[in-house]
Amino acid sequence: MRRYFFGLLLIQLLIPTLSAQEWIVPADKKGKLSTFPFNDETRKAGEKLYSINCMSCHGTPGKANYLPLVPPPGDPATEKIQKNNDGEIFYKVSVGRGQMPSFRSVLTSNEIWNVVSFLRSFNTAYKQQVMPVITSSAYPGAVIGLLVSFNPADSTIILKASATSEKSSVPVADAEVKLLVKRTFGMLPVDEPQTTDKEGLATFRVPADLKGDTAGMVLVSARFTDEDVFGSAGKDTLLNAGQKVTPVSLVAQRAMWNNVRKAPVWIILAYGLGVLIAWGFILLVLMKLRDIYLVGEIVSSDKKE
Amino acid sequence: MSKKDKEKSSEDPKIDEILESSRRDFLKKVGIVGAASVAGAAAIYSGYRYEHAKSDGESVKVLTEDNRLVLIPKDQMKDYKPDPKRLLLRGRDGIKGKKWVMIIDLSKCRNARKCVNACQGAHHLRPYEYHINTLQMQESVNTPAYHMPKPCQHCDNPPCVSVCPVDATFKRQDGIVLIDNERCIGCRFCMAACPYSARMFHWQEPLAAEADKGKEYDIELNVPQKKGTISKCLFSADRLREGALPYCVSACPNGVFYFGDENENAVTNGTTKETVNLKELLEKNGAYRLMAELGTKPRVYYLPPKNRIFDFEKGEEQEYKELT
Ligand code: SF4
Ligand code: SF4
Ligand code: SF4
Repeated sequence: MRRYFFGLLLIQLLIPTLSAQEWIVPADKKGKLSTFPFNDETRKAGEKLYSINCMSCHGTPGKANYLPLVPPPGDPATEKIQKNNDGEIFYKVSVGRGQMPSFRSVLTSNEIWNVVSFLRSFNTAYKQQVMPVITSSAYPGAVIGLLVSFNPADSTIILKASATSEKSSVPVADAEVKLLVKRTFGMLPVDEPQTTDKEGLATFRVPADLKGDTAGMVLVSARFTDEDVFGSAGKDTLLNAGQKVTPVSLVAQRAMWNNVRKAPVWIILAYGLGVLIAWGFILLVLMKLRDIYLVGEIVSSDKKE
Repeated sequence: MSKKDKEKSSEDPKIDEILESSRRDFLKKVGIVGAASVAGAAAIYSGYRYEHAKSDGESVKVLTEDNRLVLIPKDQMKDYKPDPKRLLLRGRDGIKGKKWVMIIDLSKCRNARKCVNACQGAHHLRPYEYHINTLQMQESVNTPAYHMPKPCQHCDNPPCVSVCPVDATFKRQDGIVLIDNERCIGCRFCMAACPYSARMFHWQEPLAAEADKGKEYDIELNVPQKKGTISKCLFSADRLREGALPYCVSACPNGVFYFGDENENAVTNGTTKETVNLKELLEKNGAYRLMAELGTKPRVYYLPPKNRIFDFEKGEEQEYKELT
């Protein structure tokens, strides 16, 4: 009886730790499918991306030569990984967890699908399901566009999404949009992603520490989160939404480590004085020598007389 | 127009007209190309030489800097000789308006040493010559050990530069501390002055001495390396000039490095390519700088090794595991 009790307790204790290791993918992301069918071209593109981004940890698929990490990255050709459905693999690659980095800023969604396509080539039992093409029925034949403007009064950026066809322009409601600012090496998100309201409007709060150029200009890029539905339509706009930043050269100040022209004044003065004193002393010695020589001349001419 | 075009033109007067107008159009563009940069002129010249060998037409096809194939009349061609000092001059000057910073997240480093390898590959160093190295750190017996990648800190008050007697090592406006290997006399004062042991000395003939012979010296890459002089981390100044992240930053598989421009208050992770707010990153993680009490004002920040998701493994153990 006691043993049975302990067994039960052990199971009770183990279940949460086991389930904590399980990588849960949100239900709505599980069923996500590629919008294009996998073929040799996508597999090849996927292989290239895999070798650049994934190989260093996961090794060559089918060779089980992944890095010995805890938890192990695993070989993507094995059943453990292949039993994930397409949406689950897509989610895990995009979001990452623990040591597995997130790739959503590195690869576009089409590129991630190419990687999935490559991984599936190691699974003979795999049959691809392609996402039925969305004919965005609400906006047939329309061009979906984004417009952004800056409101300095309350420091917000207002975004308007609309679908324009030949005859009319209707707002795009209930679409998730994000706003990014161009930085040297990437795009910095402004505020959280927002959902457009009935008028197709979304408001982003501009953080106080958003830096612009010398005039405070920033290049803002608006995008739909769900590119599968709305396409990669986006809008890059130059807005006067940032702080004015006047870059200061790091070698502007006078310092010991700066070049000769930028040396501290006291060093230049002290050095100049030092040189003057040294040369002055040498000159003094030379003049004394001359005096001695002249005295010698006088003495020797005296002797002659 | 090349010879081929001319042959075609005799067949059909209409095509002739189109070609003629496109040529005029093209001549207009020549004005723009004429004002293009020196590098553009280099491309033009090499294109000219290529075309010269191929045809005796009155115009030549030329590939411009922005990858457009254009036609240029031969009489407008000029020889171009690059200024031998240009690499040195721009290397001394630095990139205007930038203030580079590096952030190293110690909680993510698991000693993969990919940064070390990438750097050594780019700068033609031997496996035991380092611009960046991963160190095994442990503050006291009761605190856990961790790995610490350590490049040059690109100090804003660099003692190494103060002591150089010949102005061979210097700081630039964007914060990078570089070395001019052609000026360096190998006195090693700077090595002694650097509190971070960031500098290395070429005691022997550099690894790629043979292969790099005759190559133009790039001060932003320290290649070709030179025996009897100093080398150290350059913040990959050559990559920054192209708008790319440093070699070590993009090579890390674990998301340890962030790099960016302090003036923009944003840094980008080399692995995930996510761009984040610099101030927030430093504040939220309790960032610190190495031996800041010395007043060297490093441009490299560290995030403490908290919440680590793996155990410390010594380098040899890990290498052994990777091999087996
Ligand atoms: S070793 Fe070279 S760079 Fe260093 S202090 Fe001497 S001359 Fe300057
Ligand atoms: S870390 Fe050393 S070599 Fe680098 S700038 Fe500072 S003092 Fe100079
Ligand atoms: S920044 Fe460049 S030079 Fe410095 S350690 Fe990294 S790869 Fe090497």
